[in-house]
Amino acid sequence: MTEAITQNADMPPAISETHTESAEGSGIHISIKAEELFHVGGFPVTNGLLLSFIILILASVGALILWKKITLIPGKLQNLAELTLEGILSVMDNILGNRRESERYLPLIATIFFIVLFSNWFGLIPGVGSIVLHGHETAPLFRAPSSDLNFTLALAIIAVVTVNIIGVVAIGVGTHIKKFLNFSSPIGFFTGILEFISEIARIISFSFRLFGNIFAGEVLLTVISFLIPYIIPLPFFFLETFVGFIQAFIFAMLTLVFTGMAVQEHDAH
Amino acid sequence: MQELLQQLGIDWRLLLSQAVNFGLLLVILWMLTYKPLLRILKEREAKIKEGLAKAEEAEVHLREAHTLKKEKLKEAETEALALMQQAEARAHTHESKLIEAGKLKEAELIAHAQRLANAEKEKIEQEAKREAVTLVKAALIKTVELDPKTIDDALVAKAVTQVYEGKKS
Repeated sequence: MTEAITQNADMPPAISETHTESAEGSGIHISIKAEELFHVGGFPVTNGLLLSFIILILASVGALILWKKITLIPGKLQNLAELTLEGILSVMDNILGNRRESERYLPLIATIFFIVLFSNWFGLIPGVGSIVLHGHETAPLFRAPSSDLNFTLALAIIAVVTVNIIGVVAIGVGTHIKKFLNFSSPIGFFTGILEFISEIARIISFSFRLFGNIFAGEVLLTVISFLIPYIIPLPFFFLETFVGFIQAFIFAMLTLVFTGMAVQEHDAH
Repeated sequence: MQELLQQLGIDWRLLLSQAVNFGLLLVILWMLTYKPLLRILKEREAKIKEGLAKAEEAEVHLREAHTLKKEKLKEAETEALALMQQAEARAHTHESKLIEAGKLKEAELIAHAQRLANAEKEKIEQEAKREAVTLVKAALIKTVELDPKTIDDALVAKAVTQVYEGKKS
C-alpha cells in the first residue's frame, strides 16, 4: 500500500507540499479531488473517506462514553452535550414553531451539523494533509472530508431527499408531487418545473458551497504556510475554524429551513 | 459530464460510502445521544415541575398552618381567660361558703365551749357544794364536839344553804 510515510509539519490540511524529484525540486500539491490511498476488494479508499471513517469512529466512541455517563444529575460532559442540544433545539423551535416538531427532526439536523463541523475542523488538525504517503502516487494520508466533493454531494443528496420525504409524510404523496407536476394552469406548470429545478439546484448549491469554502480555506492555508510558515498562518487558522463552524451551521440551518417549509405547507393545506 | 465528474473526483462508490457513513453516525448518535438526552431532559423537567408544585403546595400548607396556629392560639387565649374568670368566680363562691361554714363552726364551737363551761361550772358548783357540806359538817362536828347533842343536823343543813346562797348572791 505504502512505501513510506513522511510528515511535512508546516503543511496544513488536505493539500500537501510534495517533495518531488522534478526539476523544480519542490512545490505545492493541490488536488481538487481526494486521492486514492488503497483498494479494499476493488473498493477505492480515498484520504477523505479515511478521515471520514475516523470521524465516525471517534464520534461513536464519544457518544458511547456520553451514553454511559447519562444521569439525572448531569456531569461536565453531559452538561456540555445538553447545552449544545438545547441550543440546537431552541434554534429549531424558532424555525419550526414548536418543540415537538423540533425533537422529531433533531436527529437529522443535529447529525448534519455535527458531521459537517467535525469534517471541517478535523481538516485543521496538525497532521491532516501534512502526513504524506509516498507510494506509486504521493498523497496526503488524511484529507478533510468536507474538501471532498463526494462527501458534500452525498450529504446534500441526503438532505434534499430527506426533506422531500418529510414533505411527503407531512402533506401526502399527491400534494407533494403536485408541487412539481401541476397541470392546473400554465403558470402552475411552469412553477412546478422551477420547483423541480430548484431541488436540483439545492443539491448543487449545498455541496459546492461547503466544498468551495473548505477547499478554498485549505488552499489559502497551504499557500500562506508555504510562503511564511510561522505565526502568520495562525490568524488564518482561526478564520478557518470560524468558517468551519459557520459552514456547518449554514448547512444545518438550510436543511432546517427547507424542512420547516415542507412541514408548514402541511399546515397551510 | 462523465469527464467533469471524474475531474471533480465524484465516484458513486465513494458517494455511497459517505452516505452510509452519515447514516451510521445518525443512527449511533440517535440511539446513544439524542434519545437518552431528550428523555433525561424531559424527566428532569418533570421532576422540577413536580418539585415546584410540591414547594408551592408546602407553602400553602405552611400558610394554612400559620393561620390555624394563630386561630388556635387566639381560641386558647379566649378559653383560658374564660376559665380564669370561671375559676375566680368559683373561688369567690367557695370563699364565701368557707367563710359561712367557718362562722357556723365558730358559733358551734362557741356554743359547745359554752356548754362545756356551764357543765364544768355546774360540776364545780356541785363539788363546791359537796366540799362545803363536808366542810360545814366538819365544822359542825368540830362545833358539836363541843356540844353535839344540841346541834341538829337539819339546822346545820339550813345554815349551810343559807351560807351558800348568801355567798352566791
